Amino acid sequence: MKAFWGIRHRSIIFRVIAVTVFFSVLLITIVGSVLYLQISSEILREKLNESVSETRSLVDYAQGEVDATLYLPSLKIDKVVDKILKSGDLTLAASPREVALIGTPRTTGTRSANDRFNGASGGVNIQSIPLTLRKQVVKSGDIKWIRSWISYRDGTRVPAIIIGSSIEIPQGLPYELYYIFLLKEQNIIISFIGRLLLLSGILLVLLIGAISWSVLRRALSPIRDAAEIAEQLTAGDLGRRMRVVGHDEMTRLAISFNEMAVSMQQQISRLENLSRLQQRFVSDVSHELRTPLTTIRMASEVISDNKEKMDPAVARSVELLQSQIARFEVLLTDLLEVSRFDARASILEVKETDIKNLVNSCIDQAHVTDNQEIVVNFPPESVMANVDPRRIERILRNLIANAIDHGEGKAIHITIKQGQTEVAVSVRDYGVGFTSRESLHLFDRFWRADPSRSRLRGGTGLGLSISLDDANLHQGLLKAWGSPGRGANFVLTVPKTPGISIEREPIPIDPPDELSTIPIDPEED
Amino acid sequence: MTLIMVVDDDQDLAEMLGIVLNGSGFEVDLVNSGDQVMPLFSSHEPELVLLDVMLPGMSGIEVCKEIRKVSMVPIVMLSAKGDSHDVVLGLEAGADDYMVKPFNPSELVARIKVRLRRSGGDSHTSLKIGDIVIDQVAHTIIRHGKTIQLTRLEFDLLVALAKEPGRVFSRDALLSEVWGYQQAADTRLVNVHVQRLRAKIEEDADNPTVIVTVRGVGYKAGTGYE
Repeated sequence: MKAFWGIRHRSIIFRVIAVTVFFSVLLITIVGSVLYLQISSEILREKLNESVSETRSLVDYAQGEVDATLYLPSLKIDKVVDKILKSGDLTLAASPREVALIGTPRTTGTRSANDRFNGASGGVNIQSIPLTLRKQVVKSGDIKWIRSWISYRDGTRVPAIIIGSSIEIPQGLPYELYYIFLLKEQNIIISFIGRLLLLSGILLVLLIGAISWSVLRRALSPIRDAAEIAEQLTAGDLGRRMRVVGHDEMTRLAISFNEMAVSMQQQISRLENLSRLQQRFVSDVSHELRTPLTTIRMASEVISDNKEKMDPAVARSVELLQSQIARFEVLLTDLLEVSRFDARASILEVKETDIKNLVNSCIDQAHVTDNQEIVVNFPPESVMANVDPRRIERILRNLIANAIDHGEGKAIHITIKQGQTEVAVSVRDYGVGFTSRESLHLFDRFWRADPSRSRLRGGTGLGLSISLDDANLHQGLLKAWGSPGRGANFVLTVPKTPGISIEREPIPIDPPDELSTIPIDPEED
Repeated sequence: MTLIMVVDDDQDLAEMLGIVLNGSGFEVDLVNSGDQVMPLFSSHEPELVLLDVMLPGMSGIEVCKEIRKVSMVPIVMLSAKGDSHDVVLGLEAGADDYMVKPFNPSELVARIKVRLRRSGGDSHTSLKIGDIVIDQVAHTIIRHGKTIQLTRLEFDLLVALAKEPGRVFSRDALLSEVWGYQQAADTRLVNVHVQRLRAKIEEDADNPTVIVTVRGVGYKAGTGYE
């Protein structure tokens, strides 16, 4: 039933056919019924007219016969009645009939019942002649008729037209004479016509259904094609087009659909070209900057080698020069990395990696000052994962550096947890945190939480963006939680084997020590 | 004094390289275009060549191939595109190592010193790997009575494997022992040079028997037969 409703709602063809069939059934039923009634009543009326005029002459004849007994004593009334009752004849193919004679009950006097001549032909049960007809016949004294079932003494019932008239049997006995015309033949014809009408009605409905189905299918096939091709276009197969056949409305649909696809393809390839040029440009600029940077760096090293002989101000300047060159280099490397991500040229170099070791070495490399406390919470068992260690290390170093930068010297908590198929590392600080509005831009390139705040470290502003790209490359997640004044929490979750999607996150993004939380999923904005 | 040829079209960088290398006790030939390399190379016979990949006249890759035709001198490529295809092309053309700009000058000097280091000369006067005899004093290898020409790096690589016949060397271990890298470096260096070495010493480089690959780990010395 559910499937049925599914189809009903899904298929326009089904709906249209259902409606069409419903109305044709309705129409055919009405027409068929009217036709059936018309034909059957016509057939019966014909039969009735015939029967009535036949009855009239038969009654006249019978009355004449019984009257004749008055004048011809040789005729015995019993014999005449017997003859009348025998005039019922089923052998007459056109109008088989039975005869019944019934005495009209006397209304006055209390003498014996008036039923001496009661009788009927062929075993007809005279009780089955309807009383309503008998009353009419007695009252009017004329010929009256009714359509009714007549029964035989053996219990069979037959439809019939019963026509009656009063007759007087000498001397002065009121009787009713009924002729019963059996409708066997007519019934057969009428029921045959009925079956014929029903059958042709069913056939007609089926035919209408089939025709509307095939016409609709034909008419809707371009729309279905269009839907299918639109899906393929959406899936990225931009070369797909509709077939253009004929000159009807559907052809127009196909033509305009194809025009749309062409213009879409052009637009997309134009944008792709633009972005490729853009990426090329970024990559070229970064490369071109490298040669002069190399020279500058070497020059600064040579100068710095003679630091002892320098004036303190000059020596400090050389130090600054060198640190800025280093920063410049990091920026260039990051820019190149970003352009590689944009060009989708990044490749995951997967190695089986001990995550605990990796996190420890990241902590060692982070330039932690003596009063900076770092609290680690590692599971006792070993945590191995097939990841690109360079990228995971880059993410973690960046998260730790950020935590130190924004942690205001408070303890930083680093947690590792593993699930069946995934590993998560969280870096939690209790520093300045960020607002939910700031969180929207957290992973944007070159975005700074607070431009007026002095920066302790020479971050490039690309760190979190690259980290997110690195996490995505692993099909992992990098989520952030933050609250102003209460700190920030970053959770990296990666599958233990690349290509496996993450089913559950071992470390939830909401820190357990926080009640009101604003989780940020960078994928969702 | 050791002569190093520096080939770079950026004259300032070349000059700076000259200053740094002079400071480290090397003599330097500065060349600014690819097509000037070969004439100068044959007359000056430098002991190491620093070669920029992008050069006018003749690309660094072609220069590298030309040098390899006549000499087994160590070649270190300088590249501005660390990730690109150029590096592999340069290594396949015969370069021993590469540095990505902007490099640390002291690291450059360290690399150069590793490449100039004379390996061998210790108690083992001759080593065997497969059916190959390595003469560490004469710095030659002989197979079936024939001497095979190897670059110094290829020689060092072969010696490293031959000295410990039972050991499986990971690529990182070879990078540290042969190339002198202290930190993780580009394992393509190892792969490319093993391929080049096999092409020279194996009977069938597609089915190596002298340097055998240990799947998932690295390489080890083979027996010389299957």
